[in-house]
Amino acid sequence: MRAARKAGEFLLICTFVTIACANSLCQESLNTSPGRSLVKTEAVEYLFPEQVSIPAGKPSPVALHFRIHQNLHINSHTPRAEYLIPTVFSVPEASGVKLAGAAYPAGTDFTLPADPDEKLSVYTGDFTIQAKMVATPGNHLVEAKLRYQACDQTQCLPPKTITVPIDVIGK
Amino acid sequence: MKRNTIVIGITFVILATFAWAGWANWMYRKQAAEHALASASRAELIPVTPGDVPDGGASLTGKPAPNFTLEDLSGKKVSLSSFKGKPLLINFWATWCGPCKIETPWLVEIQNEYGPKGLQIIGISTEGDDLKPDDKEGWAHDKTAIAKFVKEEHMQYTVLINGDSLATEYGGLDAMPTSVYVDKDGKVVAMQLGISSKEDMEAHIRKAMGEGQ
Repeated sequence: MRAARKAGEFLLICTFVTIACANSLCQESLNTSPGRSLVKTEAVEYLFPEQVSIPAGKPSPVALHFRIHQNLHINSHTPRAEYLIPTVFSVPEASGVKLAGAAYPAGTDFTLPADPDEKLSVYTGDFTIQAKMVATPGNHLVEAKLRYQACDQTQCLPPKTITVPIDVIGK
Repeated sequence: MKRNTIVIGITFVILATFAWAGWANWMYRKQAAEHALASASRAELIPVTPGDVPDGGASLTGKPAPNFTLEDLSGKKVSLSSFKGKPLLINFWATWCGPCKIETPWLVEIQNEYGPKGLQIIGISTEGDDLKPDDKEGWAHDKTAIAKFVKEEHMQYTVLINGDSLATEYGGLDAMPTSVYVDKDGKVVAMQLGISSKEDMEAHIRKAMGEGQ
């Protein structure tokens, strides 16, 4: 009976040690920080959806999710000053899909340290555009576009148009 | 017997908790690592201090300012060499750039104050749209926007267009504003990316003018 209890205790300790080791291994294997690349690519990343299925011929809502790189902001769809470039989503003609409308999120107020009196209307972090699309029947690989202009607190990148690839299935 | 069952039960709960904690921790770190990897390949404006240039652009400080010939809004060709012997502030800006809009009044004041002492500011519009020479509509659109900006901001110093064509020579011009301070011998004494303050700009100008050395 005592031997069985001892064996049980040993087994229990072994289990604890195994789990603890596995935990620390998991942490180490994922803790490796990637090499920091300062190559300038996109300030805005399209997240999802990659594919949507909508009823053919009917305006259907499609929520498009984007992410803005940390420390950057882009002008909202309705910037407060005329000289600022608004964020605009578009769908090319003859892609089998028409953009019937797009609802943009409201911008958040933002001020540059060099001019705390002027409020800008911007997007930061993740944002979603609620598009209404009309598709003809069939499978359409749409290369939609998002035009934006990004800045950080002291400098601005040139305006950019990125491709937003969406596989739209009209049923 | 009952005691053994309780001990086994408690042991099982503890083990299950450990296993769950390990799994949750692994999932969290996996997601964090994926996010970090994704972030590493995304765009980043590099924080700068006065005088710095980004990794992507070669520093011009200490080197002769690259010569150029650009047009002004009236179509007249203007070369950097025509300002030989003058301390210069070459300011690359764009009509869509908020920080440029903030610093332009400072530039106007600086030109008024230091102009009589010999300083010349050259504002070079750099719209970032890489227009082809034969894109008449594009150039007309750009010129209209630039002229409007120049008028609204009372820019009475030299303004040239098509700064994009100087990107290679001037360190990439990846972001606006970019200011290059040149002494009377044509040597770049400082290069500043982004907006800082009027005081910083004046300090660089005094350096370009050979004051306080």
